[in-house]
Amino acid sequence: MTTRSSGQRFRQRKLSTKQNLAVLRENEIDSVVDDEATRHLTQKVETGVEKAEETEHHLQAIISAQAASTGGGKAAALYIPTPDAIASKLQYEDLYPRHFTQPATYIRFSSTVEDMVGVAYCMTSDDAAFVKDFNKKKSKSVQCTEDQFEEVMNYFEETSHTKQPYAAVDNSAMLPYEDFEADFDETISETSRRFAKAIYEHWKNQRLLNGNRPLIPTLKFEMNLETDDSDPYVCFRRREVRQVRKTRGRDAQVTEKLKKLRKELEEARFLMAQVKRRELLTRDQLGVDKLIFQQRSDVKEIKRKLSIKGDDEELLINQRPVPKPKLKVDPREVRQGIPGMVPKSQLARPDGRLVDSDLVYLEEQQAKRADAIDGFIEENLMKHQKWNIGWVDQTWRPITPPLEQAAAKSNFRPVFTSSQLPTPPASVSSDGAVDQMDVDQPSKQIEPRRSARIRYATPPDDVPFQEQSRFRRRTGRGGRVMVDRRGVKRQKLESIDERIADRYKFSGDSSEDEEIYPVDWTDNLHIRYRIMIERQGEKQHAQAAVQGRRSIDNHNRSGSGHLLPPSNAG
Amino acid sequence: MGGRDNSEGPAGTPVPVETGFATLATLRIGTKAYVEKEGEKRKAEILHMRTRRGKPTFYVHYEEFNKRLDEWIDADRIDLSREVEWPAPEKPEKKKTQGSQKQAPSKSDQKNLKRSKSNRDISGTPEATSVNLPGKAPRATKAGGKENKEVLVTSEVPDGATPKPEDEEMDVVDLQDANAAAKAAPPEHYSREDEIEKLRTSGSMTQNQTEISRVRNLEKIQMGKYEIEPWYFSPYPIDFVDADMVYVCEFCLSYFDDVTPFERHRSKCTLLHPPGNEIYRDDYVSFFEIDGRRQRTWCRNLCLLSKLFLDHKTLYYDVDPFLFYCMATRDEHGCHLVGYFSKEKESAEGYNVACILTLPQYQRRGFGKLLIDFSYLLSKREGKLGSPEKPLSDLGLLGYRAYWQEIIVDLLMDGRVEANIEDIGAATAMTTADVLHTLGNLNMLRYSKNQHVIVLTDAVIEQRERQKAKEKVKGKRSIDPDRLQWKPPVFSAASRTWNW
Repeated sequence: MTTRSSGQRFRQRKLSTKQNLAVLRENEIDSVVDDEATRHLTQKVETGVEKAEETEHHLQAIISAQAASTGGGKAAALYIPTPDAIASKLQYEDLYPRHFTQPATYIRFSSTVEDMVGVAYCMTSDDAAFVKDFNKKKSKSVQCTEDQFEEVMNYFEETSHTKQPYAAVDNSAMLPYEDFEADFDETISETSRRFAKAIYEHWKNQRLLNGNRPLIPTLKFEMNLETDDSDPYVCFRRREVRQVRKTRGRDAQVTEKLKKLRKELEEARFLMAQVKRRELLTRDQLGVDKLIFQQRSDVKEIKRKLSIKGDDEELLINQRPVPKPKLKVDPREVRQGIPGMVPKSQLARPDGRLVDSDLVYLEEQQAKRADAIDGFIEENLMKHQKWNIGWVDQTWRPITPPLEQAAAKSNFRPVFTSSQLPTPPASVSSDGAVDQMDVDQPSKQIEPRRSARIRYATPPDDVPFQEQSRFRRRTGRGGRVMVDRRGVKRQKLESIDERIADRYKFSGDSSEDEEIYPVDWTDNLHIRYRIMIERQGEKQHAQAAVQGRRSIDNHNRSGSGHLLPPSNAG
Repeated sequence: MGGRDNSEGPAGTPVPVETGFATLATLRIGTKAYVEKEGEKRKAEILHMRTRRGKPTFYVHYEEFNKRLDEWIDADRIDLSREVEWPAPEKPEKKKTQGSQKQAPSKSDQKNLKRSKSNRDISGTPEATSVNLPGKAPRATKAGGKENKEVLVTSEVPDGATPKPEDEEMDVVDLQDANAAAKAAPPEHYSREDEIEKLRTSGSMTQNQTEISRVRNLEKIQMGKYEIEPWYFSPYPIDFVDADMVYVCEFCLSYFDDVTPFERHRSKCTLLHPPGNEIYRDDYVSFFEIDGRRQRTWCRNLCLLSKLFLDHKTLYYDVDPFLFYCMATRDEHGCHLVGYFSKEKESAEGYNVACILTLPQYQRRGFGKLLIDFSYLLSKREGKLGSPEKPLSDLGLLGYRAYWQEIIVDLLMDGRVEANIEDIGAATAMTTADVLHTLGNLNMLRYSKNQHVIVLTDAVIEQRERQKAKEKVKGKRSIDPDRLQWKPPVFSAASRTWNW
């Protein structure tokens, strides 16, 4: 409250709180400057004390003493007198035992007073007398302790408070004992219940003496009575909750939140229960293991005593089967059913460790697979060589391997037949393509072989690639077998009608470089032919002509048996 | 500042005071008589009367003394050889009050009794007071039950009994400062509604005199190793007025009106320190931070206890919006509460302390300065400037002034040649108003050569040197900021809405 006003007061004197002021000693300042401004500046300062109390004798005495001292005088040792605090006669050590040990770290604590004080009801001297009296009449075995007494009293107090919160105000009758008995709950132990009936009478008397008000003196809280506001004993009123706009959305939100909290709580509880269960099972298991061990050692003892010789293995029964199941459960072998392959992996795990305890790496797997395939091929090659021992390969070009470099152009394999062509070999499957490439290289070193009538080989160099006839067998959907051909020329007709030619335009699955022109005089072949004729025509005209013709004939025959007329060239 | 002892002169007051000689039988509540107090006769007002063992006893308030010195006296201390001032006779209700209290003295201690101080009128001139009279009468008309009526009486009597000598005197004092006081003082006439609304939204100090003018209700309390005389009224259970001694558990602060239940309680209570997190520890004291909402019982107990020693503290509303920083010393028995300050979780007015108290049994040992220092340390951590909530008590004012002086003088004595008020505030977490207050009070702010200067006066320096010499001998207790493990607590909008 002084903030605003003092600021204002000083502002009137144009004192800026932001401005730097010189800090001086008293001797550095002109002592005669005791002008009006300075005097006013320091004369009266807001104390912040209630006006009425500001003038109180002792405070004023001290303030003026201090003022005198700041003016240069000596301050007297004054203080404000306060009522006394003196040493108590109670035995502190008895009441407050030395229980406290200071932890190394700062204390973190959240328990409430209610958590820490035990039963709220504390015996009065009347109660103590009653208990003493009560115990006198009873035998030693059924003595009521102070704790039990308080427990019962506390139960009566609390129950009657919940059931008759306004008992003191509305003069309602005391609750009969039966009502309490019916409601015994966990707050009152079995041992204490024995005394409940007797204590009830005592409690009832005490309550009646007290006007049916609670026996523990309580603070006065608001009762929503008219007199509340002016009653100095009514304290700790609730502050009215600021009104929040109540919407359905908010309600739903709150509900959701509560539901979520509840669910999470349940889950946590469940988790804990399961953990507990697990630990209990573990304990049981350990117990059983121990039992087994003991019994075995007993058996051993007995065997020794009876001097039965024999396998002690049976004592170790549950240690033997451990490695066995693991070998069976190697998943890789199941997947990799390559016939004839040496089951390396089986050998690789002689230790019999748990399979699933090993981490399987993709790279390893792939490497193993590649090894397996390589080995397989290697083996087949050896077999081949064995078969071919003592035989001479009479074929024009030896058997593959080595195969030709896979033509980048397609997967077609050129076929050369010396006689009738059987069903073409299956085309290279796409996934095998890579492997085939790999395999080709090593197999090149192998000695060329002769083989039967059919060869799958590079065509002769002298036949242009485009002119070679090629076939391919494919297996389509539903098991259809298709044979593709390429480079197979149809019979050239003398006069091919435009329309008829057009019909064949899309008959093959060829691309544009395979387009068939009935006659194309600019065709490579023809150009080459003409060049050859031209070159050789001068010297060995006749010979060259014959050779050239043969070669072309040969080529044409091998393709389709269709002879292109080399005529007109001359 | 006028002299303090010319309080008898009724001259100049609008209504003359009725004076006369009295006998024991004619003494009434409201009568002012001379009472022997520590060897001298002081004028005191009878606030309450009762008969104990056949003898009348009187509860008196000494004029110009703090209420904590109000006491029960025997009749023989009243000087009947001098004239007494009779209470203003014009109020018929007053007689009723008087009657009812005589009939039921034991139960009516708590009644709000007529006080001589016309607190609401202090800022006005005597003329203004009398003019105000009729207008103020209806203010306290919230009549309900019987007790209400008496409250009504008490709030009206002062208005009626305006011509109090001390009023005049106060006026003299105030006139020097009239402008400032008018601006500085909060509206003097707090209506009950305003007051309650203010308390609901913030603060822990009442501005309302009717709230605090009560007869002390407890005789004595026993706590730890000490027996302490309460200073003021505190709303402990009403049954306690009859108890000779109220026992307060040192750790959980539970209260008992008899030794038997207290001993039983001690055998069960397992609390050994204030029930919160320790946020500071050095080899002398520990500080615990306690949330009023989470530790409602403990904090209520603490408030009840501290109300015994804090006049303006109000317990009208619950403790939820406050944090309590409790200082304790440690030994094998536990952490003994020495003092505390409470702090609003969110103060609209920038207060960093609501109530601050060193328990009487530990007073005048330097604990108050540690508490204040700690409260400013928290403000520094928060990056805020702070000031204690007003009104301050007399002891509070002296404590704060001493602290402010020490801190500011130390700061200025570090050899600097220039300083500005805001920087001083920022370095010490003190508001500029408090800095100005201190400098002004110490006569350190002067006007020289047409500009303001700060003067480190010889007196101030000498005082500081003396203090330092004393510290060297006795050892200096201070708060070490490095030992504070604390982050300013954050409260969400929801917690504000839901009562913290």
